[in-house]
Amino acid sequence: MGCYCSTSKKTEAQGYEEPTILSSETPFTVSEVEALHELYKKLSNSIVEDGLIHKEEFQLALFRNKNKKNLFADRIFDLFDLKRNGVIEFGEFVRSLGVFHPNAALEDKITFAFRLYDLRQTGFIEREELKEMVLALLHESDLELSDDMIETIVDKTFSDADINGDGRIDQDEWKAFVSKHPSLIKNMTLPYLKDITLAFPSFVIRTDIEESEM
Amino acid sequence: MEQKGGVLMQRYELGRLLGQGTFAKVYHARNIITGMSVAIKIIDKEKILKVGMIDQIKREISVMRLIRHPHVVELYEVMASKTKIYFVMEYVKGGELFNKVSKGKLKQDDARRYFQQLISAVDYCHSRGVCHRDLKPENLLLDENGNLKVTDFGLSALAETKHQDGLLHTTCGTPAYVAPEVINRRGYDGAKADIWSCGVILYVLLAGFLPFRDSNLMEMYRKIGRGEFKFPNWFAPDVRRLLSKILDPNPKTRISMAKIMESSWFKKGLEKPTITQNEDEELAPLDADGVFGACENGDPIEPAKNSKPCNNLNAFDIISYSSGFDLSGLFEETDRKKEERFTSDKPASIIISKLEEICRRLRLKVKKKDGGLFKLEGSKEGRKGPLGIDAEIFEITPVFHLVELKKSSGDTLEYQKLLKQEVRPALKDIVWNWQGEQPQPLQHGVVQKEEQPSYPGISEVVPQSTA
Repeated sequence: MGCYCSTSKKTEAQGYEEPTILSSETPFTVSEVEALHELYKKLSNSIVEDGLIHKEEFQLALFRNKNKKNLFADRIFDLFDLKRNGVIEFGEFVRSLGVFHPNAALEDKITFAFRLYDLRQTGFIEREELKEMVLALLHESDLELSDDMIETIVDKTFSDADINGDGRIDQDEWKAFVSKHPSLIKNMTLPYLKDITLAFPSFVIRTDIEESEM
Repeated sequence: MEQKGGVLMQRYELGRLLGQGTFAKVYHARNIITGMSVAIKIIDKEKILKVGMIDQIKREISVMRLIRHPHVVELYEVMASKTKIYFVMEYVKGGELFNKVSKGKLKQDDARRYFQQLISAVDYCHSRGVCHRDLKPENLLLDENGNLKVTDFGLSALAETKHQDGLLHTTCGTPAYVAPEVINRRGYDGAKADIWSCGVILYVLLAGFLPFRDSNLMEMYRKIGRGEFKFPNWFAPDVRRLLSKILDPNPKTRISMAKIMESSWFKKGLEKPTITQNEDEELAPLDADGVFGACENGDPIEPAKNSKPCNNLNAFDIISYSSGFDLSGLFEETDRKKEERFTSDKPASIIISKLEEICRRLRLKVKKKDGGLFKLEGSKEGRKGPLGIDAEIFEITPVFHLVELKKSSGDTLEYQKLLKQEVRPALKDIVWNWQGEQPQPLQHGVVQKEEQPSYPGISEVVPQSTA
């Protein structure tokens, strides 16, 4: 076993929180939190060895490329970074991934997606934001559509979702729209989280959890 | 918390003891949230550490994660405390197969059915690079429908003798089921050794006793080493031929899995493998007709029967396909992607005729066609039944479409191979680009190697490639 892991046990990185506490506040068991910690250590030391996930490390993990910028990855990073200090700490990582757990409340998933799309955090998804996101996706996919076509797509969606017709989508309208189109929050569930303990089994040796805490 | 409640991790309620061995105790338990029955194997860490098997166990856990088969007991998750490791596994109701044999030999057709299921399980695991190395009666369980389930696959580090109650069991650690090359402690091929053990098991099912038996252990070793056994007179000629090829003491000339499955005795009455829906922990039942309609039309009752060739994507659908939204990369799962999507600048009619052309060429049956969704089925029997593929076309604009391909049933490796070698090349002239792929695809893992220093203790956790 490498020295890194054994010596760091007592002096955990900034933002480390006890697995028992994180477990009590998320859908994860203590063991799952510890398995996530194995993953977290890997992600958070991939470029800067400081035990914190930086934007480049996040991009490296998602795209195998630390320099690849992506609007949606940026948004997810910002939402994970609850303290807004530019890095994802372990506690933030676990709490945010908790929303993506297959057993997490649907309500939480819907809200998370709303905040994701509310680019300017006004509490509404505005038409301009939706268009910006569609453009970003088309650009990412190398699709070139005429402005007319994009307008048509955005208009159509807005006329379906913006029930009160005030030109923006509020939380309630979003909920109603998602319940009509449940596939919209498919991304909000990560099946991988279900067998996370099998994917990162090293914790079974390192754990300090007492029998009584099980 | 406390022992009295017997609740583990606020998730499992521990029940009665099912079995006990040197390293482990197995309990029945119930998932408090879902009510599902499971078996939990509790292992004493101290004992494992003493015999130095901890790394092997870690490796085996990662490998078992890739195994999902109707005839293999599934490992759901592991949990751990300072002193114990908990394996949460599929609970199998019907007890050991050998309780049946201990009452006397089986009818040939019954024995064959169990053997077919055993071979299907073992062959599947071998295709994933997992050998059992300890196939024996205690590891063959029956579910409530009388189907075989092989347990302890990949967990050979924990292998042990649990019972000492009868001839058919490995009495006092005698190697009745073990291949000669394993006894001789030569470096051996685990897959070949498994084949030998399957042969011994088949013999026992048909005969009701072991092929190599002797009260003197040394004498038994000698018989195994020479492959010296006799057939009871009720063994039919074709099964004798097969068994002689399996119980060949030379692993180099011993029959292969593929040849066993080609043999006429094996093929007789072969059932289609049971199709399981849960293989990839899908969240929604993929095959439930109408689910699609419910998702895309907002109408749970009426399936899409409009005249349009496919469904429109709304703006939020479109953006939800961003690769920046796909967090599976965090888990290094790019090779295990469930769905692949490509965009096309061809009209729906061209895409459809292309799909039909590919189906004709690859002999895929179109089982269903509904609102842009094609349910396809392979004509060959695969490891887990014929492949089922869903291809679905969505309209972004009349001139831009998105096509999503995913496996709905069958063996994942077979699917990936078909997709990579046949389907993707054939689609070439209608594909604008494949979603989430770099212009020059970089070898997964290579980039990381360059950019991150290696840190021991973590690299070993990287899941092994499924190839």
